[in-house]
Amino acid sequence: MLSTRDLVAGYDERTVLDGLDLELPADAFTVIVGPNACGKSTLLRTLARLLTPRRGTVLLDGTAIRELPTREVARRLAVLPQSPLVPEGVTVADLVGRGRQPYQRWWRQWSEQDSAAVDRAMALADVAGLADRPVDTLSGGQRQRVWIAMTLAQDTEALLLDEPTTFLDLAHQVEVLDLLHRLRVERGRTVVAVLHDLNQAARYADHLIAMRAGAVVAAGPPREILTADLVRDVFGLDCVVVPCPVTGAPLVVPALTSPTLATPPAQSTPAGAAAPAAGPAGAGRARAPGAGSAGATSSGAASSDAAPGAGSAGATSSAAASPDAAPGAARSGGAPSGAAPSGATPAVGGNALAGSYPSEGI
Amino acid sequence: MSAPVAPAPAAEPTTAGPGIAGLPGRSLLRVGPVSLQVRRRSVLVAAALVVLLLVAGVLSLSLGTPYVAPADVLRALSGAGTPYDLVVFDLRLPRLVLAAVAGAAFGVAGTLIQSVARNPLASPDVIGITQGAGLAATVALTTGAAAVVVAPAALAGGLAAALLLLVLGARHGLAAQRFVLAGVAVAFALRALTEVVMLTADPIDGLRAQIWLIGTLAGKGWTETVWIALTLLALLPVLLWAGWALNSSALDDDTARGIGLRPVARRIGLAVTGVLAAAAVTAQVGAVDFVALVAPQLARRLVRAERPPLLCAALLGALLLVLADLAGRRLFAPTQLPAGVLTAAIGGPYLMFLLLRGRRRSS
Repeated sequence: MLSTRDLVAGYDERTVLDGLDLELPADAFTVIVGPNACGKSTLLRTLARLLTPRRGTVLLDGTAIRELPTREVARRLAVLPQSPLVPEGVTVADLVGRGRQPYQRWWRQWSEQDSAAVDRAMALADVAGLADRPVDTLSGGQRQRVWIAMTLAQDTEALLLDEPTTFLDLAHQVEVLDLLHRLRVERGRTVVAVLHDLNQAARYADHLIAMRAGAVVAAGPPREILTADLVRDVFGLDCVVVPCPVTGAPLVVPALTSPTLATPPAQSTPAGAAAPAAGPAGAGRARAPGAGSAGATSSGAASSDAAPGAGSAGATSSAAASPDAAPGAARSGGAPSGAAPSGATPAVGGNALAGSYPSEGI
Repeated sequence: MSAPVAPAPAAEPTTAGPGIAGLPGRSLLRVGPVSLQVRRRSVLVAAALVVLLLVAGVLSLSLGTPYVAPADVLRALSGAGTPYDLVVFDLRLPRLVLAAVAGAAFGVAGTLIQSVARNPLASPDVIGITQGAGLAATVALTTGAAAVVVAPAALAGGLAAALLLLVLGARHGLAAQRFVLAGVAVAFALRALTEVVMLTADPIDGLRAQIWLIGTLAGKGWTETVWIALTLLALLPVLLWAGWALNSSALDDDTARGIGLRPVARRIGLAVTGVLAAAAVTAQVGAVDFVALVAPQLARRLVRAERPPLLCAALLGALLLVLADLAGRRLFAPTQLPAGVLTAAIGGPYLMFLLLRGRRRSS
């Protein structure tokens, strides 16, 4: 429903987006990812007509968004900016009520529909119980749900959110993303969000857009496009992509960047338990031209059979120590081929890297 | 509060009953196709302020030399001829009405300017409107121009300063900080010029200018009232819109655009209205400090809204100026203090109170 044609946008002297052609699918949860300053927020703000492009157009269902009255746009497309300012002392219901602005005039300030929409939005975002509370007394997670409720009260077909999970703890991040997922699945809304966390993006997105330096590098379903190559290309980060043990979506695990990361804390390591260190080293196996090939040392040999098991997605010491590690090993082996760009070096010892410090591994 | 007020339906916060549930703390005022959201607390505060204003008014008409008993004041006002008619109608009433109208105008101006500036310390005398009017008035008073020229000159000066402010602040869509900084710059420059004019003038003229700058209602009455009232009347349709627009003025620009508002246009509208009101009232009564600053903030706290409420701020401004003028007349009688001195004396401690309170809250 939203698309761009030859979009050029930026701030002052700086051009951020340079000639972007993009198609955002309707009735999908689209997530835009990319490194800092790659233009993803600029794209979202331009899509939501918060920023006027220098050239090119944003089309809303085929019509140039700039030619539509802003009030009409606000009835079809709601946007939650990155860190909206919470007015001091305003109550939850009051703030959610502001979402009805596009339906109001100064002589028609409230109607039955407004009431119904506000109630619906608050119930959906699960903030009805907070209706009378001042927003500035709420926790970050509650506050974000209130802002989302405000955009829901707009009763729009599409919802655009700029980093809705930033500054929230993990549980609240999941809460917000689940809410967006429900909106898409149960209410058929089109949701577009900028997210920082690749794994969350892969988990929730129907359509993933990866950006770098103001251009789209790849776009499509995460399971099809999210590979270690893409991550390296977009973020400049070596990583392993394995299937998420919970959803099966691609899971991005950064490659071992320092040998010390593979070393378990000395005091908590009992005598025969070199195994825990095998986890990260296993990841290194899949990654790794440089670090993985570092010579195996004797200490690793003791745990060689536990190593592949630990290699499955962040398995921790307990997994490695137990015989259950074996099934995990099978899964690890089934990682997408793209995850292992260079030939895997199968016989890497558990904490090979911990033993010696190959300079290229750091 | 003169519109036919239909008994507002008691709004249940979260349930949409068969009628319309308003938002918590709000009631709906419906007249035909018109439906207005009214804060219940605003209505209560406004009603209380009206009562206080009436009491202060009667007191103001009553106190002085000669003293007129409140009962006699009421009798005189009701049109039954009394021996006090001259004192009440000709001496005190014009000044009382002027104080109320000017105070209301200051309250309105302060509310609008503070909303645009997003700053509780912004007021006409911080952003240069007062200094513009003051410079022009000083020039008029020290160059021997006719007395009738002073007010029009001050109006022109205030408007010129406002124009300068709007032009300087216009980049980045009259963003709050830029608006305030531009205003402070204009204010300092104009104040310096005023000092120069005053120091180079005849000392007597300089003193007259000084008194004008402090702001006083002494010797003023219907003429000044009419000018201010006409300005407010002309702005009334805009003020009705502004009351609604202020509702969302606390939102940041992106959020405001997201819900279909045009924040820049809205801000310019509010700022122009505010500076017009400020210039109009300052030209007539001089720089009565702090009313425009204090009234909106006090009203906001009374109503517990996130932004100063327009009507309550106007009523509170009226009340404050009536009381200040009354105190100025009586405290050191027979010496009369200009109302501006009194408002400044109250305003200073109030500012300190705000600062201390703010610190306590933030700690």
